[in-house]
Amino acid sequence: MSDYAEDYSVRELLAAFISREIRDGERVLIGANLPACRAGILLAHLTHAPNMEWLQFYRANFTDVKQIESFEFVTDYSGFKYCEEVPEYEHLWDIIRKIDVSFFGGLQIDKYGNINLLGVGGKYPKLMFRGPGAIGQSTITAYVNRYYIYTERHHPLVLVDRCEYVTAVGWLDGGDSRERLGLPGGGPKYVLTPLCIMDFEEKTKRMRLKSVHPGVSVEDVKSNTGFELIVPDDVPETEPPTREELEILRTRIDRDGILREL
Amino acid sequence: MGRKEVVMTVEEAASTVRDGMTISIGGILTANHPMAIIRRIIKNGVKNLTVVGSPAAGLEIDLMIGAGVVRKVATAYVGGESLAPIGPFFRRAAVEGTVQVWECDEAILCTALRAAAEGLPFLPWLGGVGTCLPEINPELKYFEDPIRGQKLLAVPAMEIDVAILHASWGDPYGNIQYVGNTYADILMARAAKKCIFQVEKVVSNEEVKRNPYLTKISGVDAVVPAPYGSHPFSSDGFYGLDKEHLKEYVAAARASVKGDPEPFNQYLRKYVLEPESHEDYLEKIGIKRLLSLYKY
Repeated sequence: MSDYAEDYSVRELLAAFISREIRDGERVLIGANLPACRAGILLAHLTHAPNMEWLQFYRANFTDVKQIESFEFVTDYSGFKYCEEVPEYEHLWDIIRKIDVSFFGGLQIDKYGNINLLGVGGKYPKLMFRGPGAIGQSTITAYVNRYYIYTERHHPLVLVDRCEYVTAVGWLDGGDSRERLGLPGGGPKYVLTPLCIMDFEEKTKRMRLKSVHPGVSVEDVKSNTGFELIVPDDVPETEPPTREELEILRTRIDRDGILREL
Repeated sequence: MGRKEVVMTVEEAASTVRDGMTISIGGILTANHPMAIIRRIIKNGVKNLTVVGSPAAGLEIDLMIGAGVVRKVATAYVGGESLAPIGPFFRRAAVEGTVQVWECDEAILCTALRAAAEGLPFLPWLGGVGTCLPEINPELKYFEDPIRGQKLLAVPAMEIDVAILHASWGDPYGNIQYVGNTYADILMARAAKKCIFQVEKVVSNEEVKRNPYLTKISGVDAVVPAPYGSHPFSSDGFYGLDKEHLKEYVAAARASVKGDPEPFNQYLRKYVLEPESHEDYLEKIGIKRLLSLYKY
């Protein structure tokens, strides 16, 4: 019987969930600006995945580091002191087939797990809201063995029926359409939000509710989702962080309390 | 006949950039941008540049757009991470169409640079197939690959006149060494007709030979000494980013796109137009602020 923590933030809950998804020995690509994903990856690394490969602008192993700094910016060179290799950025694309896990955010995420990071509202370029653009996601999502979509805004304007623009192909039009396009990667596995975890139904590849976070109802999720979500008869609660996981998060990974802000 | 030395001043380096040229700017996100030369290019009043940014560029491109020197930009991102998820001037210019954006993702831009470096008309790429990118960037064209019959993108070569990069140090003969990540700098240098490396310091050839394994590129066209030359961005191994300064920039840029141009005009005057030299700029920032940026 696990000893679960009682008082934790949404980001801490999601970090614990992410940690349990990472297996030892996997090569994980770390993106910018997703602190809960970064913390979850580190939590896995410091507990059950000591051989995990941390790939950012440097390749590092943190297992013997007592307290890992927060590194607000991915370019922070203080991280280089933990690094064993500085793989030249331009050669990331030469090992892209060998990356196991990555995480991506989006302005819009649709029912087939396609992502829009370009912009919304109107015909390009005259968008009502221009987003950052594709960054690295078009290529990484095409190749990476599996990836997770992460948003901190579970809202009908974010979780939409169809993305207005697609910067990362998920399950495309559902069914086997991604495979037919010839993309070698394994596609999106789960969608993580402050309300729930969602996966994709095996045949249609439509988004399906997998678990709701403690205190959240299925109704809350449905009314905040902009399309008809597949809801199984039995929806479990997302497993909370254990006391031990929370202790490691707060003392070794997130000493600045960034996870406790949400 | 002696060996040719290629050391150049910031002013000389910036004066090689003229109206309408295609230049590329190295570094990534909030690190290693050749700011001393960029500020001088703006001060020179150059116009209509096509700027190939780092595959994930930072606010240096935003500053250039705000200052009115850019006509077209190629990059997959212009922003400052948590300080500004998207550059204010970039966002406005992209939406209003005053700056044309060559839309891509990071790997597609690297592919375009590789094609240029290898002297090919294009290289194939799979990432981006099925996305909106070929729709919003008509230069990316679908073709059927003759080997497997797969649908791929033809990414055209990105031809560049001058690449401007920021490295740790170099010797007078153009051997360039890095103590951090080279990001896409080397690829840009190889893709461009000419490459100029701004460096934190010029070292002797003997110093380079102490550890030739650090040399990432040689035979470059110019080595430009500019200590703290990436400020307000970080320089791997030398100093971290100046968060306060970047916040001042972001606030000024945001005010400007909301209709109050004065804070940005002031920023531009104070940090770009009025300083006579890079040293003058550093004096404005102040020794205390500069030294406080050191990290380990």
